[in-house]
Amino acid sequence: MDISSDESDDWFIESLNTYKDLHVFQLEHPTKVIEWTGDKNICVAGYTGSRSEILELLLPLKLYAGENQGLCAERDFKVQHGGFSEEPIESLIHISGTRCVVTSGSSSSTLQIWDIGGDDSDVIKRTGVINLKSTSVKGCKIAPGLTDEPAVLHGSCISEVQLTEIATGRVLYTVAKESSDSVSGLQFVNACVFLICASDGTLFMGDTRDPSTCHYPLEDSKSGLHWAFGLRSDSSQSEPSGCTVARLSSSGHMLLSDLRNLQSPFCQTQLNVQHDASKNDFLNVSWAPVLDRCLSVSGKKCSSPQPVFSHRGHEMSDEAKYSGSPPVVTTHSWHQSRPKTILSVATDGSLHVWDWVDKITDR
Amino acid sequence: MESQKSAAAGFWVAASFGAGQDVGRSCILVSIGGKNIMLDCGMHMGYNDDRRFPDFSYITQNGRLTEFLDCVIISHFHLDHCGALPYMSEMVGYDGPIYMTHPTKAICPILLEDFRKITVDKKGETNFFTSQMIKDCMKKVVPLNLHQTVQVDEELEIKAYYAGHVLGAAMVQIKVGSESVVYTGDYNMTPDRHLGAAWIDKCRPDLLISESTYATTIRDSKRCRERDFLKKVHETVERGGKVLIPVFALGRAQELCILLETFWERMNLKAPIYFSTGLTEKANHYYKLFITWTNQKIRKTFVQRNMFEFKHIKAFDRSYADNPGPMVVFATPGMLHAGQSLLIFKKWAGNEKNMVIMPGYCVQGTVGHKILNGQKKLEMEGRATLDVKLQVEYMSFSAHADAKGIMQLIRMAEPRNMLLVHGEAKKMEFLKDKIEQEFSISCYMPANGETTSIVTNPSVPVDISLNLLKREMALGGPLPDAKRPRTMHGTLIMKDNSLRLVSPEQALKELGLSEHQLRFTCRVQLHDPHSDNDTLGRIYTHLKSVLKTYSIQHVPDGTVIVESIVIKVTSSAEEPNLKVILLSWSYQDEELGSFLSTLLKKGLPS
Repeated sequence: MDISSDESDDWFIESLNTYKDLHVFQLEHPTKVIEWTGDKNICVAGYTGSRSEILELLLPLKLYAGENQGLCAERDFKVQHGGFSEEPIESLIHISGTRCVVTSGSSSSTLQIWDIGGDDSDVIKRTGVINLKSTSVKGCKIAPGLTDEPAVLHGSCISEVQLTEIATGRVLYTVAKESSDSVSGLQFVNACVFLICASDGTLFMGDTRDPSTCHYPLEDSKSGLHWAFGLRSDSSQSEPSGCTVARLSSSGHMLLSDLRNLQSPFCQTQLNVQHDASKNDFLNVSWAPVLDRCLSVSGKKCSSPQPVFSHRGHEMSDEAKYSGSPPVVTTHSWHQSRPKTILSVATDGSLHVWDWVDKITDR
Repeated sequence: MESQKSAAAGFWVAASFGAGQDVGRSCILVSIGGKNIMLDCGMHMGYNDDRRFPDFSYITQNGRLTEFLDCVIISHFHLDHCGALPYMSEMVGYDGPIYMTHPTKAICPILLEDFRKITVDKKGETNFFTSQMIKDCMKKVVPLNLHQTVQVDEELEIKAYYAGHVLGAAMVQIKVGSESVVYTGDYNMTPDRHLGAAWIDKCRPDLLISESTYATTIRDSKRCRERDFLKKVHETVERGGKVLIPVFALGRAQELCILLETFWERMNLKAPIYFSTGLTEKANHYYKLFITWTNQKIRKTFVQRNMFEFKHIKAFDRSYADNPGPMVVFATPGMLHAGQSLLIFKKWAGNEKNMVIMPGYCVQGTVGHKILNGQKKLEMEGRATLDVKLQVEYMSFSAHADAKGIMQLIRMAEPRNMLLVHGEAKKMEFLKDKIEQEFSISCYMPANGETTSIVTNPSVPVDISLNLLKREMALGGPLPDAKRPRTMHGTLIMKDNSLRLVSPEQALKELGLSEHQLRFTCRVQLHDPHSDNDTLGRIYTHLKSVLKTYSIQHVPDGTVIVESIVIKVTSSAEEPNLKVILLSWSYQDEELGSFLSTLLKKGLPS
């Protein structure tokens, strides 16, 4: 309120020029997941505490008001559906075309299947489980199948990766690879082709029509590093030719590869990041769905090369001021259709929705 | 309701009786310990006819409410909480006390009068309260101070707590004997720049009643709302446009002024900012009210910088409205329904470079309401039309508790039951589950007009005499434990205002009475060819086989004793085979005695 040189105030004043839209929210419990369940809906879930909430939230309508934005005062998130999970949730995926989400937690040896619900009730109910071969503290990695029949690809280590049909529990495909490397992420490229990124950066590409899987280890693999990956495809039914994979290591090494030639990345660069072994959990790299050749990174502080934009909102929030250490962004997600809108969440429970100004093109 | 003015363990609540299932007005009735209290008396702003008033026939069909209500409590000055108050007190009829905080008492009549003027003068309505009625109503108001217990009568007491939200807003605790209810009105749990967050102690009420309009939302931060405000003002001024901010004379205006002043200073902006004279007049009055109401921390900040001496903000003169170039003007009234703000609006509406920022709710019928609904052409006096080309922005700064806030309040107060009003039950099942699971309390969500009964478990403290306590201890069994109920035998003496538990002997002594002993006797005839003694012996054997757990003695003097029951056998000389069994027992062994007599009537086994 007073004229002060408070950094946070400065940042907010600066934001008038640097952001088109900026919304800051505080969730009761922090989340590690943001998953789109509709054009205007996302799911988040708690990971601290033994009992966690899963929430389906409706984005502030003001973002969608277009020309009438001035007359729309609705700038809050609405909790549309909520449910309780008996374990902290590490991953959450939505099965497209349904009201079904699947979660994996850090303490059980099952995947949980949920029905988010419709208009008649606001309670998210558990409808089933998929049994896993083992429990993983980091939670089993999961990805939605892209076939008509809902299925989920899952595994915490390479040899355990399989595709399970949700309704029946039937195993549709197993990766025939004897590897105990842990999975960092996995994703389907189209209905049959999928990609797995191991924690050490090795890529595996498989096809559910073909029992063998090809693997592409890194040329220069350093131990102790953790790798995250992000897949860009033109649509959910792409051919490998239209897809690019980005891999980012915890030491800031970035590799871009074309799916036609996973052995040799077509582009490499080194980001100058804080190397902190304990904070690899939240390393995240994503491709912008609308903007061309634009990547976003969260979970690590990057000082160079100069990014197109850096969102410091989470450090600048009022909550961050009073806590001992600055919050870490746990994950982020691009809006599906608005080119420059991003949602980001952090360890202090903050949830931001922001749309930045590109100084070059937007002026 | 008329018949329910009786005391019972438990109480009931009815919310917002009257038309409308949506959130429109707050008016809640609580019946507790035989007392009836009305919480808030709001107007439904969506209706134009009598449906906007609560339906008081719910309370009584016979007109006046005075004998049915022990008091009325108003939480804050917003019209959906106090708009129907003059109607209720003067047109329906209520002469009892109306409680509200000092700032609410000061601000309510101003808002009610504004509202009355718009409804009657602008819209030409007739069934509405008059200015005199507002004055008469306010004469019945008894002001409340925070954290001060007020005795409404010998049994009913109330206490106000800070609610945040707006100046003067309070949460109220109502207590009758050992039962209590807390009503929140509107409140917020995240501190505001000038209002702070709601606070209540661990008063453990039997019921906590909370608004749940925003229960399923996650609110955008205050900072971002302010950011948007500054952004809009800045953009308009940068392009040479004028910004009109219609404000209510008391309230948000000061906060926005401080915000703009800080911003202007930091950005070194030159465009003039004006504050209409109507505001400065009331400003000192408001300032005094505010300073006594708010807490120490905020008071210090406001005292440091004199709220009404701004470097960049000057008093407005109506001629300035015609000055060229950018400017920002704060003007009253807030809904653009009359006066200076409307005059300025008319001058600036035709230019698309200009902007009007509406910081609050506008009543139907006002220009504010129309432009917020997107109307681009307005009909003015004399059939003139006004084209609305300027940018219209609706910015809400009011602070409400969201889902997280409700949980925080429950943690603070620790109620035994929870009641959420003004929400849709279908859309709040998750919140209900969450509350019930986290706090292990029941959560009710009645629809408007529905009555909810809350059962309480009041504890009645009683003094126990040392002798009785010792005697109980001597009986053995588990040690006294507050968490484990134990049945015991004693006499309860209620004398003057004390309740004491003593042994029966002690009670008799104190009352100067002697104990009476009751004994029953019964004669049973039996044909038995044996001698009297042998018959007695057979009775003894028979009873021993039937009553295995009882103490049975065969005494040499010719009696069988079962507990306190004495059994003798006699016969006459003429008929030695016709035995008469005499049974005698004390009142305490009535059941066993009856059993034995029935048993023996059946005869003895051979």
